[in-house]
Amino acid sequence: MSNKIRQNILVVDDEITVCKSIRMALLSEEFEIDTALSGEEALEKSRERTYDLVITDLMMPGISGMDLLSALRKLNPGIRVIMVTGYPTIKTAVQSIKLGAFDYIPKPFTPSDLRGLVSRAFKASSLERSPGAITEAKEIPSDLYYIIGHTWLRIEGRNTGYIGVMDDYLKSVGQIVFFEFPEPNKNIGQGEMCAKIRDDQGFSYGIWSPASGKVLKINEKLKTNFNLLKRSPYQKGWIFRIELTDLEEDKQGLVHNE
Amino acid sequence: MLGHSIIKKILSLPLRSKFILSFILVIASGGIIILILGTRLEHRTIFSLAQAKVRHDLEAAWMVFNEKLKDIHDIVELNTTHEGLQAALQKGDTAQLLEYLDLIRVEFKLDILTLTDSRGRVVLRTRSPDNIGDDLSGDPLIQRALKGEVVSSPQIVSADELTREGEDLAKQAFLDLLPTPKAAPRLERYEENGMMLKAAAPVRDENRRTLGVLYGGILLNRNYEIVDRVKEIVFKGEKYKGREIGTATIFQNDLRISTNVPRADGGRAIGTRVSKEVSQAVLQEGKPWLDRAFVVDDWYISAYGPIKNLEEKIIGILYVGMLEKPYVDLRNTVMKKFTFMAGICLIALFIIIFFIIAGITKPLQNMVLATNRIAQGNLSHKVSVSYQDEIGQLADSFNRMTGDLKKANDNLIIWGKTLEKRVEERTRELRNTRDSLIQSEKMASLGKMAAGVAHEINNPLTSILINTHLMLEQTPKDSPFHENLRLIADETARCSTIVKGLLEFSRQHPPQKNPSDLTELLHRTIKLLENQVAFQNIRIERRLQSNLAPVCIDKGQIKQVIWNLMINAAEAMPNGGTLTISSRFLPEDNLVEIVFSDTGIGIPKENLNKLFDPFYTTKNSGSGLGLAVSYGIIEQHNGKIDVKSIPGQGSIFTLVFPVSC
Repeated sequence: MSNKIRQNILVVDDEITVCKSIRMALLSEEFEIDTALSGEEALEKSRERTYDLVITDLMMPGISGMDLLSALRKLNPGIRVIMVTGYPTIKTAVQSIKLGAFDYIPKPFTPSDLRGLVSRAFKASSLERSPGAITEAKEIPSDLYYIIGHTWLRIEGRNTGYIGVMDDYLKSVGQIVFFEFPEPNKNIGQGEMCAKIRDDQGFSYGIWSPASGKVLKINEKLKTNFNLLKRSPYQKGWIFRIELTDLEEDKQGLVHNE
Repeated sequence: MLGHSIIKKILSLPLRSKFILSFILVIASGGIIILILGTRLEHRTIFSLAQAKVRHDLEAAWMVFNEKLKDIHDIVELNTTHEGLQAALQKGDTAQLLEYLDLIRVEFKLDILTLTDSRGRVVLRTRSPDNIGDDLSGDPLIQRALKGEVVSSPQIVSADELTREGEDLAKQAFLDLLPTPKAAPRLERYEENGMMLKAAAPVRDENRRTLGVLYGGILLNRNYEIVDRVKEIVFKGEKYKGREIGTATIFQNDLRISTNVPRADGGRAIGTRVSKEVSQAVLQEGKPWLDRAFVVDDWYISAYGPIKNLEEKIIGILYVGMLEKPYVDLRNTVMKKFTFMAGICLIALFIIIFFIIAGITKPLQNMVLATNRIAQGNLSHKVSVSYQDEIGQLADSFNRMTGDLKKANDNLIIWGKTLEKRVEERTRELRNTRDSLIQSEKMASLGKMAAGVAHEINNPLTSILINTHLMLEQTPKDSPFHENLRLIADETARCSTIVKGLLEFSRQHPPQKNPSDLTELLHRTIKLLENQVAFQNIRIERRLQSNLAPVCIDKGQIKQVIWNLMINAAEAMPNGGTLTISSRFLPEDNLVEIVFSDTGIGIPKENLNKLFDPFYTTKNSGSGLGLAVSYGIIEQHNGKIDVKSIPGQGSIFTLVFPVSC
């Protein structure tokens, strides 16, 4: 494995313990991990060195996570950025995806949550770089509102909708071995975790709800056949039906191709 | 000056006294005038009646007087035809006639009966047969008789002649003059001549040659036959208080020679004389006299007429008179009755007027009392209305006025009470508002704290969670530490859940939406704030749509939003300015729009997108949640909050949310 190219990761957080913990969680032969305690330091470091992935806290004094994101993308448009967010700033995190972040992870998280996300990030990168990636990609239906590379919402009627996982998200995970569905009647906010999957590689992945509302119905067919997800991500592979409570607001964080 | 002050005093008397005084004045002056006119009229009527009667009585007296004269005339004329008279005169022997003629004289109550020859010489004197031979040819009566006429007349007879006719006659005629007040002065002390009614007739032969004259007569002095007969015929002996009412008198010149006017001692008042003015009128001017006259010792209503002799010379007066006293008494009685009646009428009038005045002044007094009572605050007092005259109407108006006053006063009292109630209500409301503000402030603080805690705690939690899991990964499952590490990991996850719950709690209040009056809510909230110190220099302009349909909102939450936006605006205008709040209905989308437009410092462009972020604040004091909370609330109402701003000029916050639930 030593000849294998190690991926460069920069961890940015104003708290050194968090930086250290994240580093510890990701510590492996595959990754070369740097840390920075502020946005300024992170920018400095990224000028000196090219990082494949930056994991940054959203709320920091000085240059915030969002500012850092745009600055990093200016330096390297292909850079993958994972936002670490607290609960109060979750909508901001959703917004950050629109602005080019790969994904975000709410604090606190477990090492496996982080590893899953990081692996998805690299897998997505490698998929992008692989030949035929474009042809393989399923076309995104025009009626969807979605979080790029994550989940979608199809509005049905006045205030209900179906929620499912984006094709490129599913491509970035392995064989699904476990799917944790949301509980019916539970209220979920936009950007909060609504489902969780585990693949054959032992990673677990959180799935963020694209919209706020109350869980109405679970796709029972999906329960028995996880393959539906990958086979028909935008149709039969929907996860649950939602009663929308905050659609207009939610739309702000979503992408819609018309 | 004195008169002026008296008038002033009278004018300031109570109305009632003024009324009574003026009525008394009118009635009294009227009464006095009527009394005076009445008595005058009555006096005149009574006296003219009495005078008419007296004039009539005088005529009756004349009849009696003349009848007596005619009697004498007839007796004398009748006896001239007696054969014996002719014969005796022709023969010149009259002695045998004496007996016969004397008999005639006595029979017919003549005082004298005398016969003369053709030359007027007395040949037979029945009363004093010895006294004959005197020549009477100078006597006008005899002269006319000698010429063949039968004549009769009253005549003054001298004392000599009387003596010749009979000494007793002269004695009878003699009268001492008694002093009489009011009479014209006279030098004589006595009267010795007499007045007689005399008749003379010629005695003729077959050839109608005058042989002589027979004459007879009665002496009126002290002869009361005529006057008593007049009294008897005319007054029928009527008496008044023991006194004869009617009197008659024969005057010889101005001297009473035959009368039934009594003297004070009860005797006849002969020898007294007529008053000067009567004497002047009747004796000198020959006019009859009709008036009241003072006769002897009393007032009489009297009539005087002149007695004339054959030559039409006035020789005396015939008088009749009625005692004035009965008339005076009658007049007095009438007067008394009249006065009495007038008095009763006056009293009756006074009583009537009193009641009328009372009827006028009583309501006025009542009204004065009523005004006093009302002035003392008793507004329910009413003036009693008896009649629908002007005062009644005034009282009506007055009652209406006090009624209105009372109503107004009651309304004021009620208003005052409701005002108190309102103040209480408003105070309660304010307290509630304050409480809810404190509550929301508390909630905001809790949210802030929770957010702070979440942020701060999330970092250590993240470290703990990651490291625990890392340790778990490296610890075999059969290791005694595995179980402990699992516990730490689970509890750390639970901490995370607790923090998340805390944040959810602080941020989410599901709205209680109801159709509500948004305009009223705006007014109320504006009113609540505009008196605050923060708004001291700020003019609030309202442009609120008045007929807005009910909007489905949680009033408490929307109120909080309005509140937050207004406070924000105030803080953006520390040196004063204008806050314009407008509302309108957007029918095409069935939305309501509320716009808060201030003239404050504005917001820099780079801060606009952070404005609604929680804990974003430019102030030292704010929680940084006001706008975030507002944002959340409007969000919960399916609405939108939008901001536009030009630094240095002001900001415009626009709220839009649906009308229906």
